[in-house]
Amino acid sequence: MCRCRLRGAALEGLWQEDPSRIGEFVTLARLDGAAGAQVVPERRYVARSADGARTVLVSLPAAGADPGRWAVEAQGAGRLVQPGFWPVAQLGGTAAFPWHASPYRPVLPLPAALAAYGGPLPEDAVRAMGAALAETLASARVLGVVHGGVCPASVWLTAYGPLLTCFGAVRAAAPEGVPRAGLPGVDAGCLAPEQAAGGPVGAPGEVYALGAVLAYAATGHTVPERAEIPAGLRALVSACLSRDPAARPEPARVFAELAPGAAYGTQAAGAEPVALPGRVVAALSEQAAGVLAMELSAEVR
Amino acid sequence: MLSALVHDDPQTVGPYRLLARLGGGGMGTVHLARTAGGRTVAVKVLHGRLASDTALRARFQLEADAARVIGGRFGAAVHDADPSAVRPWLATEYVIGPPLEDVVQAGGALGESAVRALGAGLADGLGQLHRSEVVHRDLKPSNVMVTAAGPKIIDFGIAWAVGEERLTHAGGAVGTPAFMSPEQAAGLEHAAAGDVFALGGLLVFAASGHGPFGGGQPADLLYRVRYAEPDLGGVPPELVGVLGRCLAKDPADRPGTGELAAALAGGGGRRPFAEVLPDAVLREIARRGEEVWRQPPPRMVPPPPEAPPEAGVVGPGVSRRRMLALAGGGMVVGAGLGGGGVWAWLGTRPGASGGGGAAAEPVKAPSRLWTFASRRPDSGGDVLLTAHGLAMPAGIVLAGVNPESGEGTWQANMSDAWRWATDGTKVYALREHDEGKALAVCTIDPADGRFGKPLAELTDFAGGEARNQLLCVVKDSAYVVARASSGGRWHLLAVDLRRGRERWRSPVEAPGREYAPPMLCGAVSGERLVVCRADAGIHFLRLSVHAVADGKKRWSQSEPYSGAPPGRLVLDGRHLYLGDETLGAKKLSDGGIGWLFGTQRNVGSSAGESRLYGAPALRDGVVYCTEGDRGVVAVDAVTGSINWLEKGLAGRRLNRDVPPVVGKKYVYSLDDKGLRAVDLRTRSAVWTFPTDATVLSADHARGRVYVREERATFALPLA
Repeated sequence: MCRCRLRGAALEGLWQEDPSRIGEFVTLARLDGAAGAQVVPERRYVARSADGARTVLVSLPAAGADPGRWAVEAQGAGRLVQPGFWPVAQLGGTAAFPWHASPYRPVLPLPAALAAYGGPLPEDAVRAMGAALAETLASARVLGVVHGGVCPASVWLTAYGPLLTCFGAVRAAAPEGVPRAGLPGVDAGCLAPEQAAGGPVGAPGEVYALGAVLAYAATGHTVPERAEIPAGLRALVSACLSRDPAARPEPARVFAELAPGAAYGTQAAGAEPVALPGRVVAALSEQAAGVLAMELSAEVR
Repeated sequence: MLSALVHDDPQTVGPYRLLARLGGGGMGTVHLARTAGGRTVAVKVLHGRLASDTALRARFQLEADAARVIGGRFGAAVHDADPSAVRPWLATEYVIGPPLEDVVQAGGALGESAVRALGAGLADGLGQLHRSEVVHRDLKPSNVMVTAAGPKIIDFGIAWAVGEERLTHAGGAVGTPAFMSPEQAAGLEHAAAGDVFALGGLLVFAASGHGPFGGGQPADLLYRVRYAEPDLGGVPPELVGVLGRCLAKDPADRPGTGELAAALAGGGGRRPFAEVLPDAVLREIARRGEEVWRQPPPRMVPPPPEAPPEAGVVGPGVSRRRMLALAGGGMVVGAGLGGGGVWAWLGTRPGASGGGGAAAEPVKAPSRLWTFASRRPDSGGDVLLTAHGLAMPAGIVLAGVNPESGEGTWQANMSDAWRWATDGTKVYALREHDEGKALAVCTIDPADGRFGKPLAELTDFAGGEARNQLLCVVKDSAYVVARASSGGRWHLLAVDLRRGRERWRSPVEAPGREYAPPMLCGAVSGERLVVCRADAGIHFLRLSVHAVADGKKRWSQSEPYSGAPPGRLVLDGRHLYLGDETLGAKKLSDGGIGWLFGTQRNVGSSAGESRLYGAPALRDGVVYCTEGDRGVVAVDAVTGSINWLEKGLAGRRLNRDVPPVVGKKYVYSLDDKGLRAVDLRTRSAVWTFPTDATVLSADHARGRVYVREERATFALPLA
């Protein structure tokens, strides 16, 4: 049963199995309404403090996932201050029911952006998003940080560029040595062959996942036919999706290919609003307007 | 665009807790606010000092109703409103997007497809409004918010329901001159077709970056709206036809909203609005959608305790609170809801009742005899006296007023102050005649404001030329400056109104710039006609004297002059009096200096200012005017020797542009605190009536002085 009627893109009413409260927050809506067939590594909600003052985006482990392993990754995310990563502001809950929350801002998970756009994104939008993500991964690599959760649903488009959520989703799914394909919270289409087999979650796997995200943005699938990929991206995406980790390009190289001539350090800064297709901006606006207008009912306050 | 709350903004309004300021206007403030359930809205709150005005409350109610009529698709969805609260408020959705004005100013003109989509959306919105019998009346680029879903029309501050009794004051021109319809500019009914005109202008602005009638002074703009062809330069050729039709002077020639929407949308289906918007606009929309979620800036702290007042004078009218409110409003220009239009106009109403004044003044100021709500034009707002009553330019009409009750009796569609004059008994007007082929002088009926039959028809002169000017009417002769139909030369002419024919003409230079009101004034003294011309931006008056009998020019000269151009000439049989760096008497016989007053005087703190002496008034052989900021000085008109200077005035800024009014007991003069009465025997101020008026008109016969503020005219006894 839907407890909350919502109009618009990327948000969906709550269902019976959704929690009505998460910590001090009252849940208002599901973030991932329009994800389609894509696996979403976490359950994500728009929620609000009972006094109405704070509106947040809250994440929970996926149904069936190990809450303990998820909470370890959430703590890791909370300690990181990494440009281009979604900042985790607050951790809460119990060992059996962990969650993390951050102040709300209008976001569109990449599958929702494609739904809003009406299909794969135009090549220049894919390039701009991809360059920002590649730069984010390149600067993380310098610090030895491996995101380990890159997939379409973990990329949130915002007015100021894409942000990576679902930190450590692959690590959380199973310890090293355990095959990960098909586990809850893992988007198999983005899982590098070595990670699917239970190998280490390392830097080359990030580039594979990035290639899958680019393929998804440009075609609508993470594992497209080569011919489906726009010609300008074909060689790069194929290289990222190489089965051999050593054959995949470095993130900095992906960045240079996607944004020729762009200065490194400018894409993921998030200081200025970025160019987005009109329909994506319309969906972001619609979501923001919807959340502005939402009101907690008197009985939950 | 989100700015901090100021320390005396309330904590809550209705069920809403205030978060930040979004904008402010004269009538109210718009805040970002949130309910206990977390709904975030824009809430517009009427200023406390205006909340007791029942007319404004009614307007506020109407605004809420109009906002509900347009709804959330074409406007800001209304969440709640309480027009009956102590401070009425209206809560609407927070609209995510910049005003069209900012879009064009920041990013330049929009492309054809964006203009089409914008226009089609706005035409649909207006259609919805008009079907519910509401007219917006103030559609302009700052009242249209550009969102990703389409344009939204906001700010219904001056909308009114069709057939509803007008809430505007008699003759109060409402709207924004640059986007007014010609009928609105003329003070006539602005119906649905008027909104179409405004939409056409707005789309010209969007497509070219400039309004169809340019910018500049309101009076110039109103003139061009009514008479000039719109400037469609820069508009894509495909749009010129349809926008030109929207801007037709005759409302009947404009398309309806449905027809317009179809014409703009073209044959194909409509694309999503966001697709046609430029990247920069999309980025701004997205930025605003994020900004509203950020932590609002902290509330401003209260100011330190008030400093000791300067020079021992504390103004009764301007409180610190109000100054802060003005400062707050200034910081948030472009925030959307709230600015412009009637909001700004209604805001500066000064202390409404009499009394007050400096503590030392011995006599209580008199009460108003009556108040007539009307908008004073920017120039030439003198009250005209006739044998039957008063006439005054009010907004864009000439309004008849009963001198006993202050009630409006009629309105004449005659906005151009330079085309009427009175001889003290009747009001005469210069009109177009015979479909513009001739010029006519006629009277305005003092009972109903109707134009009478022409007293004289001047077939040689172009009736449609708006700079034609009626200088004065004296002894059944009208003195006119007009352009000849053939050749286009300008003439000064005398018209015998009794015989209905021209007496003489004398060639003169074209008055002023095209599409700007001329700045001439004229007066007759005995056998001489004095004409004074002031051109904008030139610090000279050009004076010429002609013989009344045959129009021959006796002399002319340029006189350095730094003040506002005089609205009327002060002369007697001997001299013309002008106040500027000195107070001077110019001989009418040859233009020579009769006398100069003030060349050697100590004018105190005003020394060094270019204008030291105010506009003079003449009464019983004495010239009165202000001297610096010291007070009123009385000078003998024949000799230029001083009779007296006002005593004991300090700490005021005197109004040098408005001549004093001289009664039997007092001389009345305007300063920054109000209207000051100076006792003619003690020569010191006895009371001050707080007002920010800029027109004083004396009515000696009825014993009244008429005081014109921006939005109200009132009468005080003239003693």
